[in-house]
Amino acid sequence: MLHRTSRLAAILISLLLMSPVACRSAPSAAAAAIPGPDSLPAGRYTLVVNGMSCPKCISNVEMQLVRIEGVAEPTVDMKHGFVHISVGGAGAPRKSAIASAIADSGFTLVEIREVGP
Amino acid sequence: MTRAAIARLCAAGAALATAAAPVCAQEMAGMPSATAPSPGVVIPRIQLRGFWLADDQFLLEENLRLELGVARDLSISAELPVYQGFLDPPRPADGEFGLGDMDILLELRILREDLNAIDTVRAALFAGAELPTGTDAFSQGSVDPCVGAVFSSIRGGHGVDIAARYTAVTGDAMAHPIFIGDLGDDLVNADLGYAYRLHPEAYGEERVAAWYLTVELNAVWSTGGAHEVVLAPGLLVEAPSYAIELGVGIPVSQDTAHAPELDFMLLAGLRLLF
Repeated sequence: MLHRTSRLAAILISLLLMSPVACRSAPSAAAAAIPGPDSLPAGRYTLVVNGMSCPKCISNVEMQLVRIEGVAEPTVDMKHGFVHISVGGAGAPRKSAIASAIADSGFTLVEIREVGP
Repeated sequence: MTRAAIARLCAAGAALATAAAPVCAQEMAGMPSATAPSPGVVIPRIQLRGFWLADDQFLLEENLRLELGVARDLSISAELPVYQGFLDPPRPADGEFGLGDMDILLELRILREDLNAIDTVRAALFAGAELPTGTDAFSQGSVDPCVGAVFSSIRGGHGVDIAARYTAVTGDAMAHPIFIGDLGDDLVNADLGYAYRLHPEAYGEERVAAWYLTVELNAVWSTGGAHEVVLAPGLLVEAPSYAIELGVGIPVSQDTAHAPELDFMLLAGLRLLF
């Protein structure tokens, strides 16, 4: 019984050791490093994204991006690591919101390119 | 197999199929992965496994797993064998099927290094427990905590997963153990998986399903001295809205003590993304 208690204690300690890692902040430094205005005016943009290694990435990215007000019609080009979006309507989405959505999807936003109006 | 059991299997499969919405990472069928759903996204997975065991026994198992993205790098999953049954010969004597024990896991991604458009390296820690949800003949009857880690690397068309897990089994051995995990001893699992993308050779601008050849080496050792090493080649088809898994398990080395030895195993699975 003592042996089993020790093993349980070891596992609980492992969990406690994991918790500081879980509490680490997720800085949106990526957004700050992207040149251009803080919010995106209406137009069409290409997001350059790293790490989209499989087809399910498409769904993940699109699902997160459409939650941002003002972002519409996201389409993924896996060949180049591009996500094409349209910005319009009432909202002018912030770069940080887009970077956060890409990070939430599990990937890294590298650059935002304005394609046209 | 009774009509009721067939109806249950069909109902579960049909429910998932009809509820299908937009899915799931390059994830091996029989081992953890360092991939996780994004926040608010649920990934259900249903797997059917047929185990051909020593003495001409056949066990069918249907597993349902729900994985929920809790935060950016944190997910929780629950995996429940919703059906376990010895179909040949029927066992136990008072009924041929039942629920199994449920696994609850919390997974924390600790590394995400996206190297370019495709390549990525990820690692995660996970911890949880197996809960005694099963019917008598299929349950360890104890809460068995576990911890583990998994590393995933995807480079072009090649993916590698490495995972290890330690489970502290707090209950006694089952009267009729089915797997090594039922012997009442602690367990160490070690898994190695490799995926090779068959199609497309390179991704284009259009949406396509990716086809992978996969091979896993799934090993488990018990502190009582039993062990099992299984080679599991398979096929993974992954589309934006679903993934299909097919696989075979072939024992490479085994000493299963009082549990029946494995002759071979067949697996079919479906994952969806919500």
